[in-house]
Amino acid sequence: MKIFKFITTKIFLRKAILGIGLVLLLFMSNYVTFTVARSIISVAQGYEETKDINQKDTYIANLDPNSQINTISEDEIQAVYDYINVNFKYAFYTDGFIESVPKIDDTKILFGYMNEEYYNLYKFQLSQGKDLYFDYQFDDEIPVLVGEGLSKTYPVGSKIKIEKSIIGQPITLKVQGILKKNAYHSNYYALNSKIYYNFSILVPINKEFINRANMDLKLNGLMDLIVIKSTRDETIHLSNFIKNNLGLKFNFFSQEENYDYFNNYYIQSLKIMIIITLILLIVMTCLSLWNALVSVRLMLKDFTINLLVGLSYSKLRQIFYSYFGLLSFINVIIIFIITAFSRYGYWLRKETNIATYGLFGLIEMDWLGLLCVVILNIIIVIIISENMLRKIKKVPISLGVLQ
Amino acid sequence: MTKIIDLKIKEKTYKSKKSQISILNNFNLEVNVGEKIAIIGESGVGKSSLLNIIGLLDENYNGEYTLFGVPTDTLHTRELAEWRNKKVGFVLQESSLINSLTIEDNIKLPLLYAGSKKKEFKAKDFDNIVDTIGIKSILKKKPLECSGGEKARAVFARGVIMRPLIILADEPTASLDVENKERIINLLFKMNEEFNTTIITVTHDLEIANRHDRIIRLERRK
Repeated sequence: MKIFKFITTKIFLRKAILGIGLVLLLFMSNYVTFTVARSIISVAQGYEETKDINQKDTYIANLDPNSQINTISEDEIQAVYDYINVNFKYAFYTDGFIESVPKIDDTKILFGYMNEEYYNLYKFQLSQGKDLYFDYQFDDEIPVLVGEGLSKTYPVGSKIKIEKSIIGQPITLKVQGILKKNAYHSNYYALNSKIYYNFSILVPINKEFINRANMDLKLNGLMDLIVIKSTRDETIHLSNFIKNNLGLKFNFFSQEENYDYFNNYYIQSLKIMIIITLILLIVMTCLSLWNALVSVRLMLKDFTINLLVGLSYSKLRQIFYSYFGLLSFINVIIIFIITAFSRYGYWLRKETNIATYGLFGLIEMDWLGLLCVVILNIIIVIIISENMLRKIKKVPISLGVLQ
Repeated sequence: MTKIIDLKIKEKTYKSKKSQISILNNFNLEVNVGEKIAIIGESGVGKSSLLNIIGLLDENYNGEYTLFGVPTDTLHTRELAEWRNKKVGFVLQESSLINSLTIEDNIKLPLLYAGSKKKEFKAKDFDNIVDTIGIKSILKKKPLECSGGEKARAVFARGVIMRPLIILADEPTASLDVENKERIINLLFKMNEEFNTTIITVTHDLEIANRHDRIIRLERRK
């Protein structure tokens, strides 16, 4: 330990500014790597989730960004749904509706609504309970799935009475199943973006439900409408029909086109991130080498004395590995703490759409991200330590230095 | 007599961009256990280079070196360092102390690199050595706070704390007054008498050289 302390303070920390600079660079490269790794993992999850809608005859609606939403009447939007119901098979899903739920006071509960086609397409994984059914009666209970965060308040079989529902009348929901922890839904156009269902209630809807629902549900439902077993021409007709009725321009893209759109900007930003990481790595290596060489030359006398009394290059290698290993470890811990606090912050701020469960607050993608950082750090430590040793070995050590 | 050093150097060269200097050409040296050898010669003939080679600091020469019966080219760098720590002691000029460490830490520096058993054993020797040399009062001082004589004795203490089999002394008295010079040489020879330690001293001082068993004069190649 004394040797380690002696060598590190004399070589690495001799010029504090270089030592601190190195730590900052290492942290930056670690953080960029962590962010990139998590993003890639999130994208992979998005791809996995959307692979079933990536079919030749499946198109996803997308409101043209230049469209302006003017006043739309109930009849106009109902006409659109009537047209769709007759001419298309479609998967309907919309979420983000906040409703007041009994026994839960200060947490925003998000409601998601989906039809049977969507439910079959996505195959939600449950930790408890049974699958949903869609042929319920409105006067009866509506089966729903709830997120893990609601499972204690509302276990399977319990009932939730909603006074002001989206269909304008009180409804009673019955918990049919509990979604697996951290169940999520990815954005079709930004695969790295997702919302988590831990504090959501997923309600199955049928055509009658849509007919009775208010404007919000109907309009939002159009935004991500998935048209199944259709053709490009049919979607153009549908787009024209919506335009004529609502004055809104909807584009219909296949998921392949959505992937292409996403990759256009994502791959580019990924490349930039990777280049930044590489530049940081090169700067760090150069800075460490320069720092070490300057320090060794400044303390050549002290260094020679240590070699005389028993310091070996293999011991020096051990010290370099230990020092950079320690720095890496500290950085990984810092990233771990930042991430854990960030995840905890979602809970504190009650951001229920991104609140997640995990070991020490970290979810799977965080741990995988940290693993990537550890692997990168192992590479960095090897590159820097071996290069430093190679350079230091070239410094001539002799008794002449001491005279 | 047991041979401790068997060194055959064909050539040691120093290269720079413009020139190449060759020293210690066809130099052979055999040293027995307990011998006291002085190496003299004018500046630049390779006295310190010779000590670098004998002290296992320099492996870049053309030749063969057997130390304690083991060819040194068979030793790993880790073993070379271990031998420098345990078997070879360097007694150098008073300036060879680390200024940022106290005298005590300077003397104990070799113990840092020794294994734990050796460390424990040698720690007991520390008090004896410090008492014998008479530097107890300066242990907590930094080298810059000490006189030349005190520093020279501290350097000596560091060189012998591991009780080495060979002591390599490089101009150990170069900048000392007569009294301190005598003190250091006496301490060196005392090690030789008490523990049969082999002493190899590089010096410019003929009077000191004459007190050794053998004098080796290095000369420039003509």
